[in-house]
Amino acid sequence: MTRGLTAIMALVLGLGTATASAAEPLEDADAIVERANLAAYYAGDDGRTEARMLITDGQGREQMRQFTILRRNPEPGGDQQFLVFFSRPSDVRGTVYLVEKHVDRDDDRWLYLPGLDLVKRISAGDKRTSFVGSHYYYEDVSGRLPTEDTHTLVETTGEHYLLEHRPIDADSVEFASYRTWIDRETFLPMKIEYTNDDGEVYRRVESLDVEEFQGYPTVTRTLVSDLAGGGTTEMRFRFIEYDIGVPADVFAERSMRTPPREWLERGR
Amino acid sequence: MGTPDVGHRRRDGDMKHQLTRLSTERPRTVYLMVLVLTLALGALIPRIHVDTDPENMLPADQPDRVFHNLVEQRFTLHDAIVVGAVNEDHPDGVFNPESLSALVELTDAILAMDGVIDRDLMSLSTADNITQAGPGTIRFEWMMQQAPGDATGALAIRDAVDRLPLLENTLVSGDGKAAAIYVPIESKDLSYDVSQQIQAVVDGLDSPDDYYITGLPVAEDTFGFEMFVQMGISAPLAGVMLFLLMWYFFRSASLVVAPMMVAMATVIATMGLLIGLGFTVHIMSSMIPIFLMPIAVVDSVHIMSEFADRYHEGSDPREVVGTVIDELFKPMLFTSITSAVGFASLLVTPIPPVQVFGAFVAFGILLAFIVTITLVPAYIVRMKPDRLARLHVLAVSGEGDNAIARLLRACGRIAFGRPWPIVALAAAVLVVSAVGIGRIEINDNPVRWFKESHRIRVADEVLNEHFAGTYDAFLVLEHSLPDERLDTFRRNAAASLDALDDRALAGRLGEYLETDPPALDRLIADVDDALFEARDADLDRLEALLGDAESLQQARRYFLRPDALGYIESLQAALMASGLVGKTNALPDVTKVVNRELRGGDAGDYRIPDSVPAVAQTLLQYQSSHRPQDLWHMVTPDYGAAAIWLQLTSGDNQDMTRVMAAVDAWLADNPPPAGVSVDWAGKTYINVVWQQAMVEGMLLSLLSAFAIVFVMMVVLFRSVLFGLIAMLPLSLTISFVYGLIGWIGKAYDMPIAVLSALTLGLSIDFAIHFVQRFRTLAAETGSFAGAATGIFEEPARAIYRNAVVIALGFTPLFFAPLVPYITVGAFMASIMAISAAVTLFLLPAVMSLLQRLLFREAGTASGAPVTD
Repeated sequence: MTRGLTAIMALVLGLGTATASAAEPLEDADAIVERANLAAYYAGDDGRTEARMLITDGQGREQMRQFTILRRNPEPGGDQQFLVFFSRPSDVRGTVYLVEKHVDRDDDRWLYLPGLDLVKRISAGDKRTSFVGSHYYYEDVSGRLPTEDTHTLVETTGEHYLLEHRPIDADSVEFASYRTWIDRETFLPMKIEYTNDDGEVYRRVESLDVEEFQGYPTVTRTLVSDLAGGGTTEMRFRFIEYDIGVPADVFAERSMRTPPREWLERGR
Repeated sequence: MGTPDVGHRRRDGDMKHQLTRLSTERPRTVYLMVLVLTLALGALIPRIHVDTDPENMLPADQPDRVFHNLVEQRFTLHDAIVVGAVNEDHPDGVFNPESLSALVELTDAILAMDGVIDRDLMSLSTADNITQAGPGTIRFEWMMQQAPGDATGALAIRDAVDRLPLLENTLVSGDGKAAAIYVPIESKDLSYDVSQQIQAVVDGLDSPDDYYITGLPVAEDTFGFEMFVQMGISAPLAGVMLFLLMWYFFRSASLVVAPMMVAMATVIATMGLLIGLGFTVHIMSSMIPIFLMPIAVVDSVHIMSEFADRYHEGSDPREVVGTVIDELFKPMLFTSITSAVGFASLLVTPIPPVQVFGAFVAFGILLAFIVTITLVPAYIVRMKPDRLARLHVLAVSGEGDNAIARLLRACGRIAFGRPWPIVALAAAVLVVSAVGIGRIEINDNPVRWFKESHRIRVADEVLNEHFAGTYDAFLVLEHSLPDERLDTFRRNAAASLDALDDRALAGRLGEYLETDPPALDRLIADVDDALFEARDADLDRLEALLGDAESLQQARRYFLRPDALGYIESLQAALMASGLVGKTNALPDVTKVVNRELRGGDAGDYRIPDSVPAVAQTLLQYQSSHRPQDLWHMVTPDYGAAAIWLQLTSGDNQDMTRVMAAVDAWLADNPPPAGVSVDWAGKTYINVVWQQAMVEGMLLSLLSAFAIVFVMMVVLFRSVLFGLIAMLPLSLTISFVYGLIGWIGKAYDMPIAVLSALTLGLSIDFAIHFVQRFRTLAAETGSFAGAATGIFEEPARAIYRNAVVIALGFTPLFFAPLVPYITVGAFMASIMAISAAVTLFLLPAVMSLLQRLLFREAGTASGAPVTD
């Protein structure tokens, strides 16, 4: 996928890169996407953040979800591992997702539901289903592969690269195209707009706050807006840490039933 | 006239003389005034706004309506068009590649239409599926993103639907022969337009299936469209009919122009005023022109008849007109006022469109009276003398000895000669009618406003035969915590905050407690953040506060509790067991399906999980679909209220009332858990509410109009007894008409309900003319017998003529495409016939029986000695 989604991933994980330089603008769209993908998703060997989503529907009614994300990427640009531990609301506390993201095939996904005391493997027809009832899609959280879209550089401004992306398999997604505004300095996506078949922008993702942690510019507040239905989900990231040294074997079923406390606690 | 109250006479005499002088001496001024009035008010007509929403039968602040709208908002429910595809030929029904491919194509086309709420559209191709994909693996995917290429694929979809109770019988019929698309629309005003667009796509569709389009919003909006057509056809037709009838009676086209002008001016001015004042044109008000036109010409008919009788060649038309107006002013004023009272009585019904209808017809009647007594004389004095002369010749030679005249005289002989059989017959009719009234079935259903052959009625029938029902009602369960629970929380929380060392934090958190209910999510989030930086002493207090807040939050999320879902489940089961409901859809259904699939797909796991976290986590999975918002049609995001969607195969109020009774009975035996209330919402329910309000309102309206008219009669005739007699025809007519409705089994619906007021207003006219003329004749001839003969000459003929004019004036309604208009037309025609007959038979019979009593009184009242 494109930078767009990759970028979202970056938002979610609070990853970033400080290596970009604004001096000489890049001109090749694929190169920008590649650079942004690497910068956004693969900086650091691993990372941990707490996330809180405020889901607001078209009538202003709010719901909250709170979870902690552990991420590990053995190889820049390669497969990744995620653990998502839910802590709020209290009735879903202990719910865990384990994701093995693959760049060459479908992701492996598992789910642990403590209330039902069961671990299930999840198989999904596509990745554009809601992430636990929010306006984010699963794919926004796990990342869309750059190879799933074609990319065009529309414009380079003082601050942004504006790219347009079109899906290679149009049947697998609900959008016709989307545009990404990528910060020329951080390579973080600052805005993504999805367009439907009628050419209307119906969905927008924005990076509202960016802070630097351990040298990595990181999006700490992001907002997705459902422009048709009027709802939004705001996601804030707190207690962000990179390169904590979480071992590969933490990303296993065992950690779902018994959360690895030492890797989850804030401010270790 | 028979009432020599000098002072009174002088007063109205002055007014009418002034009016007569104005119209006979300055006819052009009168023309101009009427023209200006008509044009000024008529210019407002283009602002017309048609309203066909039955919800508006209730005032905007009516509690049930307010609740219904709140429910629609809280559960994000929209009015929906229902599109159905039916395949009776293929062995697999609609589950064949061609049918499904057409369904996908149509769904895509509908999604592209403006005004359609895409995210809530329900079709096989927009539905989610949840299945087992091997051991320990659950699969989420679109049910049918693309149409299957072969029979196997099509059947696989059928099997998948079989496992999803929420879709079965809703999106696909139980027999597999039909599939449905629910098209939610942003505004019901769009539904006719959207349904036309859908029809256009369907027409171009390569599908082996028959497609049908229905749903209440389509019915309502289509009704509005056809109402326009109706007004464009029936009102002019009624005008033509009146013109022809009067032409027949007066044999003078030029004379008939005057009443036609009165009718036009009245209708245009009244409708212009209604629209100009900002009232919407509802089904009731759309009938105003048709009601006003015949009523408006009646007074003109009186004036012209009288004028034709009295005018002789060479006499001064001004003088003759003056005499005629002098003679007719009072009876015309009284008949106009009584008719207006009959309609105005509709103001006491609690149904705004009926009130508007009653008020404006009443206004129109009074306006017609004023226009008549000014415009008609003005017109007559401007007529050429030779035409006037011809008029008289026709009037005198035309009627005196034809078949109708002879028949009326015979009728008089019978009525005065053999009063007892007539009174006995009337009594018998009254008894039979009373029994009939007891049999009246109160029922309505906006879809039945269309004829049986109408495509909407056909679609309604076909789709409700295949599916669980296209009519919606909602049972809403709402949970509220006892006030003490919140008070305790607020108190404890305030205490924790007071003790905090961090005052800034305490102040910030305190704000969350001030809202009602407390902003728990935000409080919890902030406390959670604060815990990270809090010092030792505050830590404990914050932990305590967090614990309290989370425990209150859980208590508020009531409909995650297995016992709460169990109660809903048993209510659903009771609804299904009643046999009155096609299907119910609610939160337990979703929970059970997801629970089953999470646990491996065995039928035995189709149950509600046994703990709050289990339910919450099950629903969290449901929300991880393409359509997480579907959950909020069944429960509010705070889990404080849940809705059961009932699908009904009939929108008849009677059927809905039965469902309500069944629920009441069940609730009596199975009271809701503490803190839970159960209430109704949904269009089908709202229809029941306004109809009940209407039945009660109509009774009150009828009784009050009856009382007012009776008092007016007593005043007019200066006699209680004459007042009572004058009430006889309308009483018997109303009883007979409603008895007839009961006996023939015609449902008592909105148009039928308003007929009582119309009957009252119109049939009192005949009685007034009959009694008044009889007393005048009695005074003139000095004998009862003389009056008895005289009354069946010109006065009886005038009554007959007016009955025919009004009855036939309503007949164009027979050709209306919409049932309520036909009903009103048919009943108005029969009401006029019946009340004319009752007046001409029963009044003389009763008067003959009571003649001593009556004419001793009459003699006193009129001051003229009357003997027999």
